Amino acid sequence: MAETLVLPQVHAANRPLQFLRLIPGIVLLAAIGYAGKLLEKNVGAYAKAHHWTFPNIEYVLWAIVLGLAISNTVGVPAIFRAGVATYEFWLKVGIVLLGARFLLGDVLKLGGASLALVAIEIAGATAFMIFLGRAFGLRPKLTSLLAVGSAVCGVSAIIATQGAIEADEEDSSFAIAAILALGALSLFTFPLIGHLLHLGDHAYGLWAGLAVDNTAEATAAGALYSDAAGKLAVLVKTTRNAMIGFVVLGYAIYWASQGQAKTVTNKAAFLWQKFPKFVLGFLLISVLATYSFFNKEQVGSLANLSRWAFLLTFAGVGLRTNFREMRKQGLKPFAVGAIGEVAIAVFTLALVVGAQRLFNW
Amino acid sequence: MAANENRTDATVEVTAKRPFLSLDTWAVIFALLAGALIRAGVIKHIPW
Repeated sequence: MAETLVLPQVHAANRPLQFLRLIPGIVLLAAIGYAGKLLEKNVGAYAKAHHWTFPNIEYVLWAIVLGLAISNTVGVPAIFRAGVATYEFWLKVGIVLLGARFLLGDVLKLGGASLALVAIEIAGATAFMIFLGRAFGLRPKLTSLLAVGSAVCGVSAIIATQGAIEADEEDSSFAIAAILALGALSLFTFPLIGHLLHLGDHAYGLWAGLAVDNTAEATAAGALYSDAAGKLAVLVKTTRNAMIGFVVLGYAIYWASQGQAKTVTNKAAFLWQKFPKFVLGFLLISVLATYSFFNKEQVGSLANLSRWAFLLTFAGVGLRTNFREMRKQGLKPFAVGAIGEVAIAVFTLALVVGAQRLFNW
Repeated sequence: MAANENRTDATVEVTAKRPFLSLDTWAVIFALLAGALIRAGVIKHIPW
């Protein structure tokens, strides 16, 4: 999959120019997202007026499908690419603002419960991916990258680990491509399976947050099911993201012990550097909302702003997914990723169902 | 396994220097700023 992750190096003099470069792509994200919103409203109304049986397709799916249609037909012209890449920024803005919809007590209760599930998921997924990588004869560092991408948080975890274990850029690119391809598939399969199994919003949100790798896809997969499921999926995924530093540190220590990476001298600084700071922003907004820093209307506005930010994210998820590029990938690592993802999905579903029965959630 | 068997079109452009603030930090600043503007009443209402 063609995926460009641009980490811009901005010189002070170039800053206005760099910012201007983002505008066309951001406008495209907003236009696709808004078109999705209009389609949700108007297609349903049109079908009803003409007495057609037509499923209610939410703006989330419309935005993703419109993005996919552009990406896989005419492609995304160069002028839009820098701005389209900002969807990760909007995702994180949306997550931080979503904190306003959680009372701190709920965050601690749900976050605490999901933390136990996340720890089991990370251990199980890592062990299984390493086993699969060895069984398929993948390069050890590529296996590590696929394992961390599947177990923790997709692309961010892979990029963080690549630097820490000094993996080849080719391995990193391949692991990213496999995780993104599988993430795209999860957008369509997870809601379908959830409905087939008649999962409640709570169970489905937990499952999507635990099993879908990339944060953008986990957010979208949750929102495709329901608003409540989307909220919970983001919370669980954020808990998973918070674990990234510990997992990457573990890999860094392992590869340093093999003489194939630098030794981590200051572990606390390493953990802080890898820690996703938006988790702190999410908690801060939740604390402010809990202690009535915002009134009810203001919380409503923050929640709506979060939805707008996610709308841009969903458009970006569609735009950056190119099925032609997926087909160009080598089969083995994709097969390892796919088998691993199916196993993780089944494992986490069993975890969620088991935990629900055990704790009567 | 041939070295180029796993080649991908994905490109990761990572520049040598780390940016002043990470993407996460900018996202937190943006969200907190929006929260402050809403709290101060500068932004009255955001519809959906």
